[in-house]
Amino acid sequence: MEDKQEKCGCGSSACHTNKIFFYGFIIIALILLLVFVIPKYFTGNATDSGTQISGDIEKIEIYHFHGTNQCYSCKTVGNYAEETINTYFSNELKSGKIVFGHINGDLPENNALVKKYGVTGSSLWIGTYYKDGKFTKEENTNVWYKINNKEDYMNYLKGIIEGKLSGD
Amino acid sequence: MTLMAFMEAMSTSSFPLIAAFFIGLMTALSPCPLATNITAIAYISKKISNGKKTILTGFVYTLGRMFTYVLLASLIVYVGINVQTISLFLQKYGEKILGPLLILLGLIMLNIIKLPSLKSGEKINKIKEKLSEKGYFGSFLLGVLFALAFCPFSAVLFFGMLIPLALKYSDAFLIPSIFALATGLPVIIFAFILTFSVSKLGKVMNKIQTFEKYMRYVIAIIFLLVGIYYTWRIWF
Repeated sequence: MEDKQEKCGCGSSACHTNKIFFYGFIIIALILLLVFVIPKYFTGNATDSGTQISGDIEKIEIYHFHGTNQCYSCKTVGNYAEETINTYFSNELKSGKIVFGHINGDLPENNALVKKYGVTGSSLWIGTYYKDGKFTKEENTNVWYKINNKEDYMNYLKGIIEGKLSGD
Repeated sequence: MTLMAFMEAMSTSSFPLIAAFFIGLMTALSPCPLATNITAIAYISKKISNGKKTILTGFVYTLGRMFTYVLLASLIVYVGINVQTISLFLQKYGEKILGPLLILLGLIMLNIIKLPSLKSGEKINKIKEKLSEKGYFGSFLLGVLFALAFCPFSAVLFFGMLIPLALKYSDAFLIPSIFALATGLPVIIFAFILTFSVSKLGKVMNKIQTFEKYMRYVIAIIFLLVGIYYTWRIWF
């Protein structure tokens, strides 16, 4: 019997009450979550911000933002993007319809661009200028999942850019 | 379908909670959180002879991560602080502080740096004893702190994917919580494996207790190594 008590290690009644409070709190929190929060995920789409406005495209900017010290993946995301554009969109690049750049966000001269795009770190952004003066921007996070497969990455980004050019 | 393609598909799932979970899992596997999680595993395994404690400590560590992520998401979603401001600030300073801090903690554990004993020593000693004995508060703090360290890729996952999701559903609680759970999952799983493999050993318990004495040094060295890794990454 004594052994058992020792094993428990926490024999005092105060400790026991604490435990009850602890588990009770967790259970109540979970129930509150179930009742108040979860249903909203099943009541259809919340405000969808991803709607695109189709129209005449003036130009597309593709920017790879990075810091002064770049991580391996960050460099890859930028390099593959550059290669995709040089390989498939060299004409658009020459005509100025597509603009590409590696932008070091740490440099003060790039502050305006960082603010304009709302960059939150190393990232690939596509900005679209429409002929009616409208501008939309979009961060592409999918490319990060494709850095282990260059062909996949390039085909994917090619598709995205083609879509943008055709006003999707 | 490759693993990455699967992770990508799940992370962009139209069910926000599933997406949050897989974005978190991806985060757990990305370099920086991986390093902090390894440190956390070392920390929680210092009391492996008490299995329940090890598992609970793993959960409390995850709870610490949850605290940070929910707080950050709340600041953005409810308070309306600019994502960019928070993200750039944390990436600028978070990492820079983490490395030296881990080195400092490692040195304290090794007794190379001795904490000054203040005059109200007894009280502080009592608190210190309580902290190291229970370890829950310590691992909670560790979770809070480690979650603040954003590296480029984990920042993309959190600020580029998770926060937009939280904003879309104006939920800064459940989505970040599920995300946090996934980021701490390797630690929880490891705590379970550790506990069950140790309890199976049973008879060699005495040896494990001797091992725990050395464990302190092993943990200190892991803190030092991870600290050096961060410092080297950021400052050089």
